[in-house]
Amino acid sequence: MSEIKPTVATSTDKNEATAEEKDWAAAKAHFESLKSTKPRPPKPRYAVTIGVSSRTLFDMVAERKIFQEEGLEKYVQHQQDHEMNNSDRLILFTKSVGLGPNPSSSRPIDSLNREPFGHVPSYWKKHEKPLKLTKDLPDRALMTVNERLRKLYPDSEELFDIVLMTNNHAQVGVRLINSINHYDLTIERFCMTGGQSPIGYLKAYMTNLYLSKDSKKVQEAIEEGIAAAIMFKPEMETQLSETQLRVAFDGDAVLFSDESEIIVKQHGLDMFFEHEKLNENTPLAKGPLKCFLEALGKLQKKFYAKNERLNCPIRTFLVTARSAASSGARVLKTLRSWGLEIDEALFLAGAPKGPLLQKIRPHIFFDDQMFHIEGAKDMGTISAHVPYGIGQKYNKGKLIEPEKQQK
Amino acid sequence: MAVSHLFVQNCAGPLMIALQYNDLFDLLSISTSTNTDALPKGRAFTFIKAVQTVNERLVDQNKTESLLFEVILIAKECSEEIKMKIVESVKHYGIPAALLYDQADHHVLNQLKVIFSGDVIGFSEDSLDSLSDFGFGETQIETFKAAKICVKEFAVLIGQMRRRFGHENSPLCTCVLSVWGSRNICATALKTLREWGLDVDEVYCLAGAPCSPILAVVKPHILWDGGLHNMRDSSAPS
Repeated sequence: MSEIKPTVATSTDKNEATAEEKDWAAAKAHFESLKSTKPRPPKPRYAVTIGVSSRTLFDMVAERKIFQEEGLEKYVQHQQDHEMNNSDRLILFTKSVGLGPNPSSSRPIDSLNREPFGHVPSYWKKHEKPLKLTKDLPDRALMTVNERLRKLYPDSEELFDIVLMTNNHAQVGVRLINSINHYDLTIERFCMTGGQSPIGYLKAYMTNLYLSKDSKKVQEAIEEGIAAAIMFKPEMETQLSETQLRVAFDGDAVLFSDESEIIVKQHGLDMFFEHEKLNENTPLAKGPLKCFLEALGKLQKKFYAKNERLNCPIRTFLVTARSAASSGARVLKTLRSWGLEIDEALFLAGAPKGPLLQKIRPHIFFDDQMFHIEGAKDMGTISAHVPYGIGQKYNKGKLIEPEKQQK
Repeated sequence: MAVSHLFVQNCAGPLMIALQYNDLFDLLSISTSTNTDALPKGRAFTFIKAVQTVNERLVDQNKTESLLFEVILIAKECSEEIKMKIVESVKHYGIPAALLYDQADHHVLNQLKVIFSGDVIGFSEDSLDSLSDFGFGETQIETFKAAKICVKEFAVLIGQMRRRFGHENSPLCTCVLSVWGSRNICATALKTLREWGLDVDEVYCLAGAPCSPILAVVKPHILWDGGLHNMRDSSAPS
């Protein structure tokens, strides 16, 4: 079994296991029968599953306003009115990649079971509008990794899988699916829970990372042991790689626990440096994103095994306010003790992270402190806030609420 | 998953549900020393409670409501033969039969949750034929195709009932679950149901992912899958 999901319990019920295999076989048959260049989704048990909310994928600011001001009924109605729908026929479009036999015409597709072909010009009836794509999810980079993994390991299911997890109502689902089709995103699995929390489903899908704009849900996910973060849109768009997935992590309270950060906040920097030097050889406890770094590492190792280290389509970065000389060693030793590698470790010694991240151009940057998140997104980096640890009680170094007991 | 059948037939008027006596009460766990207190609850108990809630709310809204659930209990003197006969008759007369999902006590009592199979409703005839390469026999595929027609009747009625309530706080919650199909199959299922008058509340598209963990979270009371569970439980060909 894959090591990417060490906590998966195998089905002990023989009937259930057989049924599961049959379902898998049937789905495989169906996807293979679709005349499409898109590959089928991998087996969840082996995949690196990324759960995304609908607002992470699409800009639903206007829709959200309707929901908040006019209520659920009006919101659902609005979404239905703007579906890309023409009763039985669905007009599908694909992004312009120069594929398709007939670029100048739009082709209505009778059977919804066929995947879209052809590259067509913009054609929208008055009410047929897809949702606006946020471009925060690095869909292309993730799929490039998958393509390369499939070439090297054609029988492996250890691939990225993106699942839409939303508590939106199912009737909004049609517009979401149509919009996914419009941008040709590689998302085949989804849960639209009609108002309930998606957290239970995250676990059922063995999710490795959950991205949402809702801080409550993200906090719940972290409490359940799932790596999760709140997405923030950058102020400007940056050109990002489509051939290499680049992920940047903060250290304390993201990859590692907040134990050291507590010392900084409560006793100051000098105490912190002393403490870290003394404990250099004691590994830090793990933080909420450690398991995601681990999952990325497992995929990276598959490339290394095939001599592709120099050309690996996944690159990881540590971007920490720690300084290398006084507190960096402990971090590197901790990673080593976990058997994890990080491609580039950048110690800023307190300097702002924004400019450096602008140079690195990661697809996503995880940090626990809003101060850093704001600095990063102001300079064009897609940033994700990890609401964990003592950093939540501070803003720019100042305590923002009375100190409570640690959890 | 539970393999107990619930048969639904609509003559004009109420949605009739026939249920076996031994699903409502758990006869197997009665010991000889029990006193005369009520029988322990069987696996259909929470389902019945949820059905009652729907009826109560419908009547609350409209005292003369005729579209209600009506439950008939079938006494279980039955031998295995008789049970088989019931199952066969149901198939013979094309009476829609749904799967009564295994109910634990933590199932919600005040909301009836019904799942429709996205695969049954969303797959086109041609796509179903592709399944013959993967261990599904001709008859199984034919049954599958016929299931869609059976489901429609029930879906129309549930749709009418569902429309008596708003999006929030409804005692009846409807879902689509597609296990095999791609997202477009699922979209087709949603739209087909909408054409039949049913706007479902929740939708899950698994595209081959195991469904038990998802069902454990959804916690449905009944599951319309067109006999899919029979196809899945049968042993795979060597």
